[in-house]
Amino acid sequence: MSRSEGPFAFRPALRAGARFSREAKDRPILTFESVYKSYRSGSPVLRGVHLTIERGEFVFVTGPSGAGKSTMLRLLYRSETVDDGRILFLGKDVARLRDDAVPFLRRNIGVVFQDFKLVPAWSVYENVAVALEVLSLPTRLVRTRVGEALERVGLSGRGNDLAGVLSGGEQQRVAIARAIVGEPALILADEPTGNLDPQLAIDILGLFEEINEGGTTVVFATHDRTLLEVRPRRVVVLDEGKALDVPQGIAIDSDDHYRLPN
Amino acid sequence: MISLSTTLRARRGMMREWRLHALSIFSLAVAFVCFGASLLVVTNLRALEDRWAHAGRASVYLKDNAAADDIESVKQALLRVNGVKQVRYVSGQQARLDFGASQQERATALASLPAEAFPSTLEVEVVPEMTDAELVDMAAKLQKLPSVEDVETYQAWTERLSRLIRGGVAASALLALVVLGAVLAVVGSTIRLALQRRRTEVEVLKLVGATDRFVKGPYILEGSVQGAMGALGATGLLAILFMIVRGRLDGEFVNLLGLQPQFLPWYLVTALVCSGAVLGALAAMGSLRKLVLV
Ligand SMILES: Nc1ncnc2c1ncn2[C@@H]1O[C@H](COP(=O)(O)OP(=O)(O)OP(=O)(O)O)[C@@H](O)[C@H]1O
Ligand SMILES: [Mg+2]
Repeated sequence: MSRSEGPFAFRPALRAGARFSREAKDRPILTFESVYKSYRSGSPVLRGVHLTIERGEFVFVTGPSGAGKSTMLRLLYRSETVDDGRILFLGKDVARLRDDAVPFLRRNIGVVFQDFKLVPAWSVYENVAVALEVLSLPTRLVRTRVGEALERVGLSGRGNDLAGVLSGGEQQRVAIARAIVGEPALILADEPTGNLDPQLAIDILGLFEEINEGGTTVVFATHDRTLLEVRPRRVVVLDEGKALDVPQGIAIDSDDHYRLPN
Repeated sequence: MISLSTTLRARRGMMREWRLHALSIFSLAVAFVCFGASLLVVTNLRALEDRWAHAGRASVYLKDNAAADDIESVKQALLRVNGVKQVRYVSGQQARLDFGASQQERATALASLPAEAFPSTLEVEVVPEMTDAELVDMAAKLQKLPSVEDVETYQAWTERLSRLIRGGVAASALLALVVLGAVLAVVGSTIRLALQRRRTEVEVLKLVGATDRFVKGPYILEGSVQGAMGALGATGLLAILFMIVRGRLDGEFVNLLGLQPQFLPWYLVTALVCSGAVLGALAAMGSLRKLVLV
C-alpha cells in the first residue's frame, strides 16, 4: 500500500513539526465534531462532543470516572470507532479511515497508558525501538534516536535492562520514550500517573511539559486534581457525554461532579 | 540487523514457549509418520511392480511326453518371435535341483518328491519393452502347440500387485487427509495459544502502528517451522524404523522378492517437508484470519 497517496492514507510524520499538508499547518491539529459513541444501546458515553485543539497545545481532559475520557482517546487512535460525527486529525477524518490506514495513523500518535503497556520480556531498548522498527528505519538511525529518547526521559544507560524489572516510574518513562521516539505530532496520555506516587506523578507531568515545549501537542487525561493545579493549563471537562472547556480552575461539588465556575 | 525482525520474534517466541512448540511438532510427527509409512509401502510395492510387471519372462510348461525334436522346434519358433531374447530349456530333474538349492533346509524332504512334480519347461526371456498384450498373444499361440501343457506369463501376479498398490495409494490419500486435518488443528491451536501468551506484545505492536503483516509474520513462520519439523521428525523416525526392519529381514526378503527394500526417495522426503512447511503456514494464517487485532 502506498504510504503517501490516496485520500485515506497517512504519511508517517517523523518530526514533530512535519506538515501533513500545506493547509493542515494552519488548521487545528485535532477537531471533534459532534461525536457520539455508545458501547451499549441506551447508555451513550459521548453525546455530541465538540472540541478543537490547536497545534502545540497542552490540554488536560478530566471528568468523573466513567465519563468517557479513555473512550475519547481510543476513538482518536482508532481502537474504537465513532457512532456518529467526525474526528479530524491533521485534516483527516479518523472515523472514516480505512482499516489498513490505521497503522499509519498510529505512527503519528504517541500513546501512554496508566498500566505502561510494555513487553516485560523485552529490554528497555527494544520496548522503545519497536516504534521505529515498524517503520523499517535503518538500525543505526534507530539506535541513535532510541538513545536520544531514553536520555530525554532520564534513562540513558538502562537500555539493556529488562523492562519487567524496572520500577513503576521507570516503566512509565520507558513508555513515554516509546511514545516520543517517532516524534509524533500528537501525544495522548491516559492517566499516565495513575499508578505512581504523587511526587513521581509531578515528575512525569514535567516530562510531558518538556515534550510539549518541543512543539508536540499533548492531550493528558487525568482525574488527579493536584496535577491540574500545578500550573494553569487548558482544562477540558468531560461530563454527561459532552466536553466543556474550562479555561481557569474548576469547581467540584460534593457529588464529585465538575461544574463550570459561574 | 533489525532487532525485532520477523525471524527474531519467531525464534524468541519458539524458545520461550519451546514446550508448546515441541508438543505441537511431536503431534504433527505422529501424523506424518502414518502418512510416510503408507508412502513407504506404496514406494516398495511400486518397485516390486516395476521389477515384476516387466519381468520380461514367461515359462512354457511342456507335456511329459513331448519329444526332444518338438521341444527344439518350439524353441526355434520362439527365438524367431519379435522381442524374445533368450529361450532356455530346463528339464524336470534340473528344476528339482534348482528348487532344492534355494530351499536348502528342506532339501531332504523335497528329495523324495517324484521327478514328475517338476515338469520340463522352456524359460523364455523377452525384452522389457514387450507389452502385456503381446505377451498374452504369444502365450495364446504357444498354448495351441501339441507339446505345450501350459504357459505362465506371471500376469495374474502383476494384476494382484497393481490392486495392492491401488489400495496402498487410496490408504495414502486417506492418511494425507488425516495429516491435513492434524496440521490444521494442531498448528492452528498452537498459534492461537502462542498469540494469547504474547498478547501484550501484539497490543504494543498494534499501538505503535505495526501493520497486520508485521504482527502476524512471526506466527506464520512459526507455523511453517512446526509443519516442516513435524514432517522432518517423522521422516527421521521412519528412517530409523526402516533400518531396524531391514536389518532383520534382509536376506530372505531380497531372495523372495528379487529386490532390496528401499526408503522414500529424496524427492518424496523433500516434498513431505515442504508440504509440512506450507501446510503449517496456511494453518497459522487460517487461525490468524479470524483474529481481530485492535
Ligand atoms: N469496551 C467497552 N465495552 C462496554 N462498555 C465500555 C467499554 N469501555 C468503556 N465502557 C463504558 O463506557 C464508559 C466510559 O468509559 P471510559 O473508560 O471511557 O471512562 P473514563 O472517563 O476513562 O473513566 P476512568 O476515569 O475511570 O478511567 C464507562 O461507563 C464504561 O463502563
Ligand atoms: Mg479511563
